[in-house]
Amino acid sequence: MTLEERFNEIIRDYSERVYYHVRRFVNSHEDADDLVQEIFLKVWNALPSFRGEAQTYTWIYRIATNEALNALRREKVRAALRFSSLDEVMERRIDSDPWFSGDAAQRALSKAVARLPEKQRQVFILRYYDEMPYEQMSKVLDTSVGALKASYHLAQEKIRAALGEGD
Amino acid sequence: MIRKMDISTPEGYFETLQERLRLIPSRRQRPSVVRRLSPYVAIAASIVLAAVLGNFILKTTAAPSEEDLGWEYVSYLAQSLDPDGILPPQESEEMTSGDIVAYLINEGISVEQLNAYYNEEDD
Repeated sequence: MTLEERFNEIIRDYSERVYYHVRRFVNSHEDADDLVQEIFLKVWNALPSFRGEAQTYTWIYRIATNEALNALRREKVRAALRFSSLDEVMERRIDSDPWFSGDAAQRALSKAVARLPEKQRQVFILRYYDEMPYEQMSKVLDTSVGALKASYHLAQEKIRAALGEGD
Repeated sequence: MIRKMDISTPEGYFETLQERLRLIPSRRQRPSVVRRLSPYVAIAASIVLAAVLGNFILKTTAAPSEEDLGWEYVSYLAQSLDPDGILPPQESEEMTSGDIVAYLINEGISVEQLNAYYNEEDD
């Protein structure tokens, strides 16, 4: 199998999952679209050196999660330059996203997730939305299963509190 | 199943996305001429900019030399400041009687004529 054939296989198997994964971080269809292209460009550039020690699934998710976090860090700087905060930017995006088709409770959940600290947000998105097993998450985030469970628990508590405040 | 029911995408989005992603290898193998040249253009532009800035800084901070101003301009300035040449030269050499005699011979003035001139003045 040539590199290009392998790459096409990865696109077929992972492009949709990667899109939904990063969309949860950036809360915008356009930004998620740009990000998916950057991620697959990185995948293509790194493919010749990918030996397959890690599962393709783990490898792709690791690249996607890192790129999504980098995009959020850039957004945080841009928000600070406009005397705003990342939380405010994300709230506005969720409210004005024409491709958000959920109800009020799902919108409130998305906003609560956007306000989580970075690590808890990663864990929550991978576990709750992507339904990734902890063992797999452990490989993607290079964190122990115990620490991931603790992070997920904390994230749930914060989300419950945020949603309770909204009632 | 991924919980994605609360977010949607434009109709046929994933088909077009996959088509665009499949173009990545061809785009990477054949970068445009502008993209290939851009690092070199950037380096050349940096060198030119550094040279222009360096020249500007030197010109504005260093005292201008005669060469910078041009000899003709210096002569013009000297003429403007001292049109009759009455100001003594900055580095005057001491004049000897030999120099005076040489001058008189050169000008064709005899000692007698000189004495007659001084006698008229005294009168």
